[in-house]
Parts: sequence; C-alpha cells; structure tokens
Amino acid sequence: MHIPENYLSPSTCAVTTVAMIPVWATAVRKVRQSVPQEKMPLLGVAAAFCFLSMMFNIPLPGGTTGHAVCGTLIAILFGPWAAVLAVSIALAIQAVFFGDGGILAFGANCLNMAFVLPFVGYAVYSWLKERLKGDNGQLIAAGIGSYVGLNAAALCAALEFGIQPLLFTDAAGNALYCPYPLSVAIPAMMLGHLTVAGLAEAGFTVGILAFLRNTMPSFGIEELSSGDNKTAPVIGLVCALIAATPLGLLATGDAWGEWGLEDLAELVGYEPAGMANGWEWSSFMPDYSIGALPEWIGYILSAIIGAALLILIFRLLANTSKKTVDFG
Amino acid sequence: MANQEVPSWLTNAEEYQPQADRDSYITKSVLSLSSVLSRLRIDDGAETLFSPSAPVKIIFGLGGILLVSLSQNFFFVLIMLAGVLVRACLLPREALARVVSTAGAATMLAFVIMLPAALLGQPQAALTMGGKACTSTGIAMEVALTTPSAQLTSALRAFRVPNIVILTIDLALRSIVRLGEVALEILDALTLRSIGRNRDKTGSLGGVGGVLLIKAAIAAQTTHDAMRCRGFEGDYQVSKSPSLRTIDLAWVIALALLVALFIYLQGLA
Repeated sequence: MHIPENYLSPSTCAVTTVAMIPVWATAVRKVRQSVPQEKMPLLGVAAAFCFLSMMFNIPLPGGTTGHAVCGTLIAILFGPWAAVLAVSIALAIQAVFFGDGGILAFGANCLNMAFVLPFVGYAVYSWLKERLKGDNGQLIAAGIGSYVGLNAAALCAALEFGIQPLLFTDAAGNALYCPYPLSVAIPAMMLGHLTVAGLAEAGFTVGILAFLRNTMPSFGIEELSSGDNKTAPVIGLVCALIAATPLGLLATGDAWGEWGLEDLAELVGYEPAGMANGWEWSSFMPDYSIGALPEWIGYILSAIIGAALLILIFRLLANTSKKTVDFG
Repeated sequence: MANQEVPSWLTNAEEYQPQADRDSYITKSVLSLSSVLSRLRIDDGAETLFSPSAPVKIIFGLGGILLVSLSQNFFFVLIMLAGVLVRACLLPREALARVVSTAGAATMLAFVIMLPAALLGQPQAALTMGGKACTSTGIAMEVALTTPSAQLTSALRAFRVPNIVILTIDLALRSIVRLGEVALEILDALTLRSIGRNRDKTGSLGGVGGVLLIKAAIAAQTTHDAMRCRGFEGDYQVSKSPSLRTIDLAWVIALALLVALFIYLQGLA
C-alpha cells in the first residue's frame, strides 16, 4: 500500500501533504494532552509493532503482495491521534531509510495509512465494542475494526492511483504517472485487501491485543484487563517479530502499484513520461537490502534499526509530553 | 525623657527607583556555567548486568570507532549503527538526549561537508560519511556517558598512561566541578549587588577571575596536603593480576567476532 515515488503527480502529492499538515498539528497537540509522559516509550514500542508488521509481506491473489499496518491496534491502545503520529513516523523512517514509499508521496501514504486507517478502524471498533459484550467482545471488535480500517485505506490508495490517468495525460493520451484508471485500480487493490491483507491485519491486531491483555494490561492509556504486568514478554515479542521478518521474503513479487519503472513499462507497453523523468531519493538500504548480501540479513538489520529508531524517537518526544501524578 | 525629633531625612519617603538595566552578561555566564556543570554531574554510569569493566568498555569503544572508520563496506557500518541505536534505547532520558544531539550534530556536519559530492552525483558518499559520523559519535558518547569519571581515569592506568597525566585529568575533572560551583556563587553575589545601570559590566570579569584563581590555588594546596596526609605518593595502584570477569570475556569475544566480520566484509567490498 506504500505509494512509491512518481506514481502520483506532484500536484496530487502537494494536495495530500497540505491536507495532512493540520492533521499532524492536531495529532501533536492531542498526544501531548492525552498520552502521559511515562507512556510515550510504550507508544514507541507500539509504533515498532506497526513498522515490523509492515515488513511481513503476504502473497495476494493476482501475484502481488500486501501487508498489515496495525494502525487500528495503536488507535485502540493510545487513541486515534496517537496512531496518526506513530504510523506517520514509521512511514517516514521507511521512506527515508529504506526507500519504502516515496518521499514526495509521503503525505498521500500518511493520509491513507496514518489517518484514514486508524480513524475508520477505531470508529468501527468503538461502535462494535459497545454492542459486543463478554471477554472476547473487545477482540472481535478490534478484528473487524482493523479489517475495515485497512480496506478503507486501500480504497483511498486505489482512488489516488486511479485518478492519475484521468487528470494527467500527454498529447498522445498516454498517462504521465500511474497508468491504471479507477476501473482497474479499485478492483486490483481491493481484491487482495478484502480477501487476504485485511485478514492479516485483523490477525496481527487481535493477536497482539490478546497478548498484551494477558502479559501487560497497562500497555495502553487504559487498562486492558486486571492481570499483572510483565515487561519481559513484550520485549520478547518485539525480538521475535524482528527475528521473523525474513518470512516476508517468502512472498515473491511486488505489491500492486509498487513496481519499478521497467516492470511497469513491460506491463503497460510504455514508460509514463512523468515517471521516467521523475525525482528519486537515494536511501540507506533500498528495499531493506544491502548490496550482494543475502536479503534476509538486510531484513533483520532493517527491522532492528527501524524498531530502535521508533522507540528512541518516542522516548525523546516524552520530554514534550505532560507529566502525570497519581494521587490515588 | 525629652522628646527627640525624628531627623528629617528619616521621614522622607524612599523614592529611589534603580534604572532598568540588562544583565545579559551575568545571565549568560550563569547559564553556560550551569550547563557545563550539569553535564559533568550527569552520572549514568550505573553498572548493569551486562556492563563490562571500564578498560574493556574503552577498548571495545575505541575498537568499534576504528573499525567503523576503516570500513569500506557500508553493511558493517549499519551493523554498528544498529548496535548503537539499541544501546541508546536503553539509556536514561537525559543521557539519550545528549547522545542524540551530539551524534545528530556530527551527522549534519558530515552531510554538509559531503554536500558537494551529493550535488555532483555521488549521494551515496554523503550517506556513508553521515552514517560513519553518526555511529562513531554515538559509540564515543555511549562509552563516556555510561562510565563514571573515576572509573575512566583508573582505566587509563591499565593502559600504562603515566601517573602524572592521570593525576592531572583526575584533579582537573574534580576541580572544574568545585570551581564551577564557586563561580556560580560569585555570579549570584554579583547579581544581587548589581542594582541600577552599570556601564562597566565587564569590569567585574577580572574580579570573578581573580577570586577563582585564588580559590583554585587554595583548593590545589589543600588537596595536595590532604592526599599526602592519606599516604598518596603519586602512584595509582591497579591490581597486578586483574581478574577477567565472565561478562568482560563475553565482550572481548564480541569484539573479536566484530573484527572477523569486518575482515570478511572488507573482502566482499
């Protein structure tokens, strides 16, 4: 779902980035007010869950791949505004360090995965949680909410891809940027996400939420259950996810809409002019790989660097958050 | 008892209004002194279960910086960067902020220096230099911040550094903190007594410096006398046969593995 560089026109990128600026500003303000200082490192751990879950590529129908995002999970634990901030920072690290998602398309990617996904997912979760009673009500609501949230984000990405050939074509009628119209982009994106990727998102969300309920109920802002808190299993889960990231390599092929220019030219028969002359960012580890070394080593190293960076950033952000005193 | 009249000067209302004056000279001096002192006072050197002894830590740090500098394979730099980031995540917040600010500044400087290379079509060179600068500075800061200054100076003895050098560093570190506190007290007194407009602000600089010099001389003499009284002959004693702890051995093996990895990756570069 990461829109690469040059698939969207510069004007589309500008509009989505401008639309996200007030969202980011509000998110910073809300997180300062609502997330206590001592919880900020845990928000960093949640962002690390999000970063790692995005590295598990899953084969989708049609020969493409997809991945979970865990945006709804962060919204459930820390609120949707905290999820906006956490997913945005995870996406920024992916774009800058690993070339996953475009720098120019950062605003569009954040709009889909950091704004639409957590807010839709959290709204569905909240609505269902009121109606589903029992111990498992929360988990069922979280599963359905995250499934709907991911598909809403995929639909937004498909719309952004699909409007490109309608708005930007050259004199010969060829598309300048993404060449697939809405009639192709929406079914192609939604087929994979409605069937497999959505279920993967629900699986990740419910699995991690159930794990936290049993091991560290005070992980989020509100207590998830009345059990004892144990930190070691959570650290163990992060380490296990890092060690397991090479599983994402088992899914061969690119995600829909994330092909290289040459692959795209083979698919549509021409190189869209706007993409051929577009700007490209040179990242540290493009596609999470390093030179001729085995891909799995690059994947594990990327996972360690990404997760450590996120925890580090949120620990530093804790300085700007309010301190709380428990008078109880 | 005859009534005595209150003198007229005593009945006058006090109308003295000191003219407003900026005291940025004193404020800036106090702030810079306080920041230096707070840095010296940070003691995040609490030992954890996995902490090696100070000499091993210094060897590991210097070895790491050397390997990162010599490495022609960027993968090695990234492995070290991952280690630095993971260690930084476990630091106390103040120490973490200092590591990030110093390493960030060094990285930015490296980027700026390498900017012409990036503009001439070699962006990878700027990334490599930035990565190396960030990793090296991070290692140095983490070693410095997680080792108490007393352990650092005693570790120097294990490296056969002459006694007089260690004594000088040791006394200088302690004196800076003590004299800094004295300087803060003098500046506080100066602030309280500086009422009204003062056109000769820098005139007090000599006074502050002079008092500090006298205090430093007295402190040096007192320290010398105290050390002689306690039998110090200018010789730093270290254990003749230092027992290598298990954790130290693990760190030495880790360094050896890093060197092996470095040599292997250099062959691939």
